[in-house]
Amino acid sequence: MRHGKWPLIVTFLVPPVLLYVAFVVSPYLQAFQISTTDWLGYSPEANSVGLANFKALWHDDYVWNALKNNAILLGLVPVLTIVLGLFFATMLAMGGRSGRAGVTGVRGGAFYRTVYFFPQVLSVVIIALLWKEVYHPNKGLLTSALHGLGLPAPTWLGDPSTAFWCVLAVMVWSNVGFYVVLFGAAMSAVPKEIYEAVLLDGASRFTTLRRVTLPLLWDTVQVAWVYLAIFALDGFILVQLMTNGGPNFSTDVIGVRMYDTAFGSETKFGYASAIGVVMFFLTLSVAVLSLRIGRRDRIEYS
Amino acid sequence: MATVTYSKASRVYPGQERPAVNELDLEIGDGEFLVLVGPSGCGKSTSLRMLAGLEDVDAGSIYIDQRDVTHLPPKARDIAMVFQNYALYPHMTVYENMAFALKLRKTSKSEIDRRVKEAAGLLQLEEYLSRKPKALSGGQRQRVAMGRAIVREPQVFLMDEPLSNLDAKLRVQTRTQIASLQAKLGVTTVYVTHDQVEAMTMGHRVAVLLDGVLQQVDTPRALYDTPANVFVAGFMGSPAMNIKTVPLNEQGAEFAELQIPLTREQVAAARAEGGDGKVTVGFRPEDCDLVSPTEGGMPVVVELVEDLGSDANVYGHAALGGNSERFVVRTDRRSMPNMGDTVFVKPRTGRSHVFHATTGSRI
Repeated sequence: MRHGKWPLIVTFLVPPVLLYVAFVVSPYLQAFQISTTDWLGYSPEANSVGLANFKALWHDDYVWNALKNNAILLGLVPVLTIVLGLFFATMLAMGGRSGRAGVTGVRGGAFYRTVYFFPQVLSVVIIALLWKEVYHPNKGLLTSALHGLGLPAPTWLGDPSTAFWCVLAVMVWSNVGFYVVLFGAAMSAVPKEIYEAVLLDGASRFTTLRRVTLPLLWDTVQVAWVYLAIFALDGFILVQLMTNGGPNFSTDVIGVRMYDTAFGSETKFGYASAIGVVMFFLTLSVAVLSLRIGRRDRIEYS
Repeated sequence: MATVTYSKASRVYPGQERPAVNELDLEIGDGEFLVLVGPSGCGKSTSLRMLAGLEDVDAGSIYIDQRDVTHLPPKARDIAMVFQNYALYPHMTVYENMAFALKLRKTSKSEIDRRVKEAAGLLQLEEYLSRKPKALSGGQRQRVAMGRAIVREPQVFLMDEPLSNLDAKLRVQTRTQIASLQAKLGVTTVYVTHDQVEAMTMGHRVAVLLDGVLQQVDTPRALYDTPANVFVAGFMGSPAMNIKTVPLNEQGAEFAELQIPLTREQVAAARAEGGDGKVTVGFRPEDCDLVSPTEGGMPVVVELVEDLGSDANVYGHAALGGNSERFVVRTDRRSMPNMGDTVFVKPRTGRSHVFHATTGSRI
């Protein structure tokens, strides 16, 4: 067996590693290489320019504007999504207390769970188009509703002061359902007796969430945080489809910036790759940092 | 400290016809240690959880100190519970686990500290106060769960099989600790177990349940000496009582060649209500002697001898009305038979229990 196991391991290991190198590692490395050139994408001509692209990037106000928007998303999307997800999951798992003894969820929990999950089943493109219609300045659902109540309505995605927040709301909306299910699954792994003990100790629902549920679900919350942070640093599809970064760059994000640079009027592939490289390191550091900072003792149930 | 009263309290789980607890009537005195015992699924845990407010009461009511708590939420009942799996908060230290309920009640810091330290001293937990539950042994976790209940200084302690996750030796040790702790604190305690030895050794009184119906409540001694029906007789005591349904005649019960004499009243009672010429008779393994063949014992073929050190249990079978029936006899080690031997068993006079053959109630 000592000698016999190597052919087996090699047979299983080599194909995936080769595929990974060919389709993941190599494009990354190529992007690093391209980012040091002035390649324009459709010509064979590419001259090495060293770090000139990165220097230009440092002085590019459009990139900084996009990064600022990404930073706001990074600050808000994970927090809002996790808070809402935890709240809904708690209500589904143990919200129903009036009149019934013990620990039960709100009535119709299975229904809510399914409904919350709907956005996750839809393609992001559909979600973007759907909300574009909702935000339509003349015949959209929101405008009609406000007009129906006799209130003035903003132009939503058309106004630089509201567009960003409209996109942010869609980001939270489209993610919450998944985290409700994720947190719900994590909660069902907590022994029911712990919640009964909390009940006997006399904790309110909010205290239960803050002092017991959140600490017990910390690992899951942390994973959610990393996913959402990566999502917030990207956000490309929704922004590209709903506003394409506009109006007046108010919803621009780094992903859209990169796309525009590469496939816009100028096709500056070298410069776009430099943006990509910066994005890669930003995402990596945010992920590593949030895992580091949030590290706590593992929870074990006796 | 308080009394607890169950008044025709019932619990029917949704989608089930038979109540899990059926019209439970039970009075628990101030400072009493009451044990609820029965086989799994008998409703003992459900009864406890009804008192805790973790389970709905579908009919009847429950009082703590004459106060109707039937529909009060758990936190309004002033009770503390020890769970089978302890349900400690894994992310809190031992100290925080015990202090949690008090903090929620806005008890002052110094008072919390005093109570936690006191409970920790009582339970020998002082050196573990800053540890988390995962760094504790099973016995220590069990004590933390006890401590969490004690610091609350509740009116009633509820314990749901608190010893069943411990190993046998620790269980015996903790059993006595809990009993003496309860005696010291004098708090009314309701204790659920499926282990009849725990019930016998710990309870002031023991309530035996079967299929959601209360069978008998009495002191352990009375329960053992005068079981109210066949179920209680067979459930209490280890090894279990020998209980057989045999033909009845004018003088008594016929165990093949052996005759167990009954009084005239017992015979009359056994014949009433469709006794059908049969009577159920039980005698405990320690209430019989092995006699010589001439003394008129029941011949039992020995299948197994358990040497317990202090004495021995002899398992065997005897032909009874055409069937082979199993018997257990506890005997002195000196007169221990061997496997395959035939011994002659004679129950001691006046130590047998007589039950009605169909209703199963004591005669």
